[in-house]
Amino acid sequence: MSAGLKTVILLSFVLAVGFLLIILSCALWANWLPLLVALTFVLAPLPNALFAHCGGDEFSSYENSGAVDLGRFITATIVITGFAFPIVLTHSEVIRPAACAMSILGGGLVYGTILAYSAAFRQDDSEFD
Amino acid sequence: MSLPRSDYDPRRVCLNPFPDVNLGKHRRTIGIYLAGALFALANWTFLDAAILSAHAHAPYDEPQIPPPVHVQFVDWVPGFCSLFGMLIVNLIDKDRIRGEDGFGDSRAVWRARLFLFIGFALMAGGLAGSVSLLVLKYVMKDYPEQYTYYGYANVSQNVALMLSAVVLWIAQSAQSEFDYNLTL
Repeated sequence: MSAGLKTVILLSFVLAVGFLLIILSCALWANWLPLLVALTFVLAPLPNALFAHCGGDEFSSYENSGAVDLGRFITATIVITGFAFPIVLTHSEVIRPAACAMSILGGGLVYGTILAYSAAFRQDDSEFD
Repeated sequence: MSLPRSDYDPRRVCLNPFPDVNLGKHRRTIGIYLAGALFALANWTFLDAAILSAHAHAPYDEPQIPPPVHVQFVDWVPGFCSLFGMLIVNLIDKDRIRGEDGFGDSRAVWRARLFLFIGFALMAGGLAGSVSLLVLKYVMKDYPEQYTYYGYANVSQNVALMLSAVVLWIAQSAQSEFDYNLTL
């Protein structure tokens, strides 16, 4: 159990650093648009989690998995949105390049934390990933 | 005995054009993620041009003349066409297109092919529209490169949308081994 405890502490630390980077990227230049990146990455695993249980029974899990496919498609779309949004804002000179780099790094840390958490504490009875 | 029944049948028009590759179960997942990523990239490429156009200004060390061209509603239309075509193509059940016997009535197959054709025509129309927009609105008028970027972004949006639809189609029509075992 102590290994799980260490994982939890490490992941929460990384999550806090990620949010710190995003909030700093907003607060240092008093432009709070990059905060949307945090919202995007927090919302990113939601479609997978919602649609993962719509896959039908075990006999047709790869036959009628349109809902699962939709969830994956939306997840990939949201993740790319989280990375592309600061770049687009930087390109049109709304935010500074440093703020862009910090928010992308922070968003990556947040999303990586979510991925690592769900991979580390996955229940073994589910076949989906 | 185990020859495929209809690998080549000249009467079929919109037959599922990709070979039945057996890619395994993770390839399907990767393909769908890739399609979603391409979809988002396509739309953000165009949105980048639109936001850039809204914030456009002359370089600071030059006289501040207003920019000669902006992204207008016309620029959005090819993207809408591609998006709509992609939606139509992906709403069709892939098994209908194959048109196997004993799978519903034949009129359903005919209608599915018609809507598939409409979807592909919308996507191709979006691509052609973006190219013609690039030529007519941006290239012919000799704008500086800062402004022709809007047109190029539009074309790349539509190309990436088409690629996304193709990747999604391939990923979804790749048969899993489980399905293969059942159909044998």
